[in-house]
Amino acid sequence: MTTDANHDVLREQVALYAIGALSGPERAAIETHLRECDECAAELKTLLPVTSALAQLVPQHDPPAALRATILAAARREARATRTPAALAPWLAAAAMFVLTAGLGLYVGQLREQVRSLERQLRDAMARVDDGERRVAVALREAANLQAPLAVLMAPDLRRVDLAGQPVAPNASARAYWSRSRGLVLTAANLPSLPPGRIYQLWFVTGGAPVSAGLVRPDNAGGLNAVLTTPANVPEPVAFAVTLEPETGVPAPTGAMYLVGPAH
Amino acid sequence: MWFLAVLVKLGDAAAAEADRAAIQRMARGDHDALADLYDRHSRLLYSLALRIVRFEADAEDVLQEVFAQVWRQALRYDTNRGTVIGWLVTLTRSRALDKLRRGRARPQATDGEQRAHEVPDTSPAIDLTLVSAEQAAAVRAALEALPDNQRVPLQLAYYEGLSQSEIAAKLDAPLGTIKTRMRQALLRLREAVAEPVR
Repeated sequence: MTTDANHDVLREQVALYAIGALSGPERAAIETHLRECDECAAELKTLLPVTSALAQLVPQHDPPAALRATILAAARREARATRTPAALAPWLAAAAMFVLTAGLGLYVGQLREQVRSLERQLRDAMARVDDGERRVAVALREAANLQAPLAVLMAPDLRRVDLAGQPVAPNASARAYWSRSRGLVLTAANLPSLPPGRIYQLWFVTGGAPVSAGLVRPDNAGGLNAVLTTPANVPEPVAFAVTLEPETGVPAPTGAMYLVGPAH
Repeated sequence: MWFLAVLVKLGDAAAAEADRAAIQRMARGDHDALADLYDRHSRLLYSLALRIVRFEADAEDVLQEVFAQVWRQALRYDTNRGTVIGWLVTLTRSRALDKLRRGRARPQATDGEQRAHEVPDTSPAIDLTLVSAEQAAAVRAALEALPDNQRVPLQLAYYEGLSQSEIAAKLDAPLGTIKTRMRQALLRLREAVAEPVR
């Protein structure tokens, strides 16, 4: 709810704003209001298809064939003149996004720290051979467990897939980092807590039947960090999806879809 | 059934993702990505520009300016800010309206002078996605069915870029009345989007 006395006045203007018919102070006022008022923001959302339709409903004409070549040639000329110094920027931007990705950067950092710590323990354990081989084995295994997600995240064929919450879980979101050769790291947030006897199952949606990538259980806060293996010989996926299923998992999806995202 | 539901959801998402990927490739200097984006959207954008500026040569200029700006700004474009098609449509409309206004104000302006004038990208960062052909047709029919006193102000605002007060002056009607009629018109079109003709 808003306490803004101008709300009723501004709400009347949302439709005009949606088609780009407001300018200057009127537009500034409504943009400020839209950031604070969920009701008006929702109203705007319902009007955007009208804006699209106004752009789409005009008589359709193909542009002259020569225009394409002209536009591409202009971009090439400009490329030679100005682009080179900035060539690194997209990679920096990509790197920054990777690090800033909600929680994941932190997660990678924690993993590295844990790996370093376990390696220290391992060295200590190896130094004190009389502590027995068992400690060495345990530390080795734990270090290997933590190397798995790092190995996936560093894979040369890593792909990122964003999964969006579906109507049963509109606030849920997830991101999968998938390498066909090394496996899959799934991070998720705001997943609804599991009903008794149920579990989330991740699917590779392919041209044929969906292929299970495994079962995942969120923590009490609805968060999730899971490392899964790539199903053997899985066809090229068109999407990843997460459904709610019986606790033992199912061979084909039966339950409601909680998350879905295109795999390219 | 389940698979179909996924595919329908993914249709729009896939198109939007292809656009985002093209922008990211353009940011790395990939000309093929610019060609991809042009091939997907030039017909829509050219038609919109032509509707606004009315002359083919002007519509071609608008498209050149739009794609040049997209190419230059691909590096800075935040693909989380809104959809790429939303960016393209608002950019095309504002460039076309700008050309229309300059044509009105300074019919003698030379090509060089026009190019030197860099239009700021002030379009609201909104999340436009395209509607289906059926929905666009339904809105066209609804627009044509509107009474003149609702349709004309709307067309003057969207396709001619006139301000509310300019429309009020042109149609010799009170400003409040114009605003009310335009809002009514838009709400009617919203109904038409929601229930496309069968």
